[in-house]
Amino acid sequence: MPSRKFLYRLSGYLFLLPYLALFLVFLVVPLVYGFGLSLFEWEMLSPAPARFIGFGNYAEALQSEYFWKAFWATFRFVVMAVPVNVCFALLIAVGINSISGRRQSFYRAAYFMPTIISISVAGILWRWFFNGEFGVFNALLEPFGLKGYWITKPTWAMKSVVLMTFWWCVGGPLVVLLAGLQHIPRHYYEAAAIDGASRLQQFTNVTLPLLRPVLLFVTVMNTIGSFQVFGQTFMITRGGPELSTRVLVQYIYETAFNNYRMGYGAAMSWLLFLAIALISVVYFRILREK
Amino acid sequence: MRSRSGLFSWFGAILRVAAVCAALLCLASCGIGQKKKVTVRFWNGFTGPDGRTMLRLVKRFNQENPDVNVLMQRMDWATYYNKLFVAGTGQRAPEMFIIHASRISRFMQADFIRPVDDLVRGSKGIDEKDLAANVWRAVEREGRHYAVPLDVHILGTYYNRKLLKQAGIVDAKGEPAPPADRAGFLAALEKLSKSSSPDKRQVWAYVFTWFETNLYTIMCQFGGKFFTDDYSRCILDNPENVEALQFCTDLIHKYKYVPQPENFESWIGFRQGRVAMVFEGIYMLADLQKQKDLDYGAAPLPQLGKEKVAWADSHTMCLRKDLNGKELEATWRFVKFLSDNSLDWAEGGQIPVRTSQRETERFRKMEPQYQFSRQLPYIRYLPQVPFIFEFQTEYDLALEIALRGTAPPKDALTSATLRINEILERRRAMLARANAGKAAAQERK
Repeated sequence: MPSRKFLYRLSGYLFLLPYLALFLVFLVVPLVYGFGLSLFEWEMLSPAPARFIGFGNYAEALQSEYFWKAFWATFRFVVMAVPVNVCFALLIAVGINSISGRRQSFYRAAYFMPTIISISVAGILWRWFFNGEFGVFNALLEPFGLKGYWITKPTWAMKSVVLMTFWWCVGGPLVVLLAGLQHIPRHYYEAAAIDGASRLQQFTNVTLPLLRPVLLFVTVMNTIGSFQVFGQTFMITRGGPELSTRVLVQYIYETAFNNYRMGYGAAMSWLLFLAIALISVVYFRILREK
Repeated sequence: MRSRSGLFSWFGAILRVAAVCAALLCLASCGIGQKKKVTVRFWNGFTGPDGRTMLRLVKRFNQENPDVNVLMQRMDWATYYNKLFVAGTGQRAPEMFIIHASRISRFMQADFIRPVDDLVRGSKGIDEKDLAANVWRAVEREGRHYAVPLDVHILGTYYNRKLLKQAGIVDAKGEPAPPADRAGFLAALEKLSKSSSPDKRQVWAYVFTWFETNLYTIMCQFGGKFFTDDYSRCILDNPENVEALQFCTDLIHKYKYVPQPENFESWIGFRQGRVAMVFEGIYMLADLQKQKDLDYGAAPLPQLGKEKVAWADSHTMCLRKDLNGKELEATWRFVKFLSDNSLDWAEGGQIPVRTSQRETERFRKMEPQYQFSRQLPYIRYLPQVPFIFEFQTEYDLALEIALRGTAPPKDALTSATLRINEILERRRAMLARANAGKAAAQERK
């Protein structure tokens, strides 16, 4: 007869089991399988059987012009999108926080709304917005004699994608930051006000330090998400013009599922994974410092 | 808490609706199952108006053939091919599916499409001689035909009749006369660039629409080659191709007849009446048929180089390799039905492959289709390489770079050539390895 304590422990694992099973089958196994795949030269369009080539695929990626071009495109997206998303989300959150009652829930819902639209719909919508001939943005600019090359010039395209991403994604960090703001006790502000702190001083000396953990969490999640950008660029620009917005995930997708170079695609996925892991470690270091 | 319980009741309602739907679906599928119909799954990428035409044909077939149930599934071409390929290599391909003729080599390598020669020549077959010879050749690999072509879509000239008349590009009867050769084309560009539209908006003589089809045609017309005859080496940067691309780049940057590609939505511009001529595929006709306020015409392409060439591709009907018995018979019956009725299909902007159908009075009355079909003797498909997607990526990029003026045509084509040759090199090494493996296996036997 097993002891009570054992049964108690077992029940804990039993509760974990459903998730653990999913985690293993859909995450760990593919991850390991993908790593194995990345060590093979395997092309589905070739009669040759898969062949073990060690880190050959990794070497090819690191020497490939297209890999670095895609990496650079991804990096540009991250360094533009993350600050824009997080900063504006914070600003809007502070704004919404100062509104009270029902109107607050209205604004929160309004800003969150785009996030629940699927990327295919949002993408098509914004491709129309950006359209040079009949798009709404150029129609708004026309009275001023201006014309935007939203997604037709390599120098513009990525910024346009960032703009769309802001609209589409700001809701997520916004809601989290708003919750964070609402957890800051009122009396801190009252004390600061009695000490004669201005609104701005209250923001920099009370809000920001107390919001720091939430802010870091939002930044980390946003960075990880931004490295995996795919839907927006794929729907709006298809990676163009001149491959300026072909990000890593799209390049991996094309390599694996258009050209059927499975091993090479898997190797690049692992390189992307390593990049994200590295940046996450850096972030968590900063997080722990406090 | 009130809002929360509200949410739950909503959730409950959704769940109930879902349950009812699921139950109905079950009933429906059981109903089909009882009649023992042969199911033919039919996949394609006809997501536009062509999909509705196809759906009508499928419905008609299902009515006329009560023992067969054709289930059509449509998805966007871009994702379609990936899904089909993965389904095929996982032994789950549909019974019948559409592939572009230019992609047959690729699917042949994947080894899940069935040669159709025996069916075409069989008792319930299709007269081979009735199929346009060069289209029938486009589905042939190593002496066998891998599909039945459903249509052929050719590139042609769409022109704005009003703008051409205004610029005085007319024949003896005063009707608009789109140019037929290089001199005529350049003269037309000059005339059109000088004439202005009544509402003072900028009007362009000509624009490039899809770079790939436009430039492939023009390069071939200039006598350009893409690969050596045995497909062992890419020669995309040969002088004829460079000359052709230079000619097109000059139209934009030197003579300014053509707007910079980044500033202009070509096809929309044509539909808005701001472009006099475009080279587009017959499949774009569906767009114009909807538009009543545009007076357009269709004509064969002008000959800009030393040869007459027009880009073309075909939707072809492929069968899964392991079909047999009833399934094979039913699927073939459907293939033959579509082939026999391809005039209905042509109505929405396609050209039938069957000569007997093209010679009918009904087809003659489809003016744009008929005009474009006159180019049938000299159509050209994209190079028949299995790595067609990689080729297209490099080719399109080179064209984009050159036409935008980022790099000179020669440089753009040379770097594309280098990269395509790298792909060829990689594939050669793999094939050698596969052959060595086969030889070793035979020796062991």
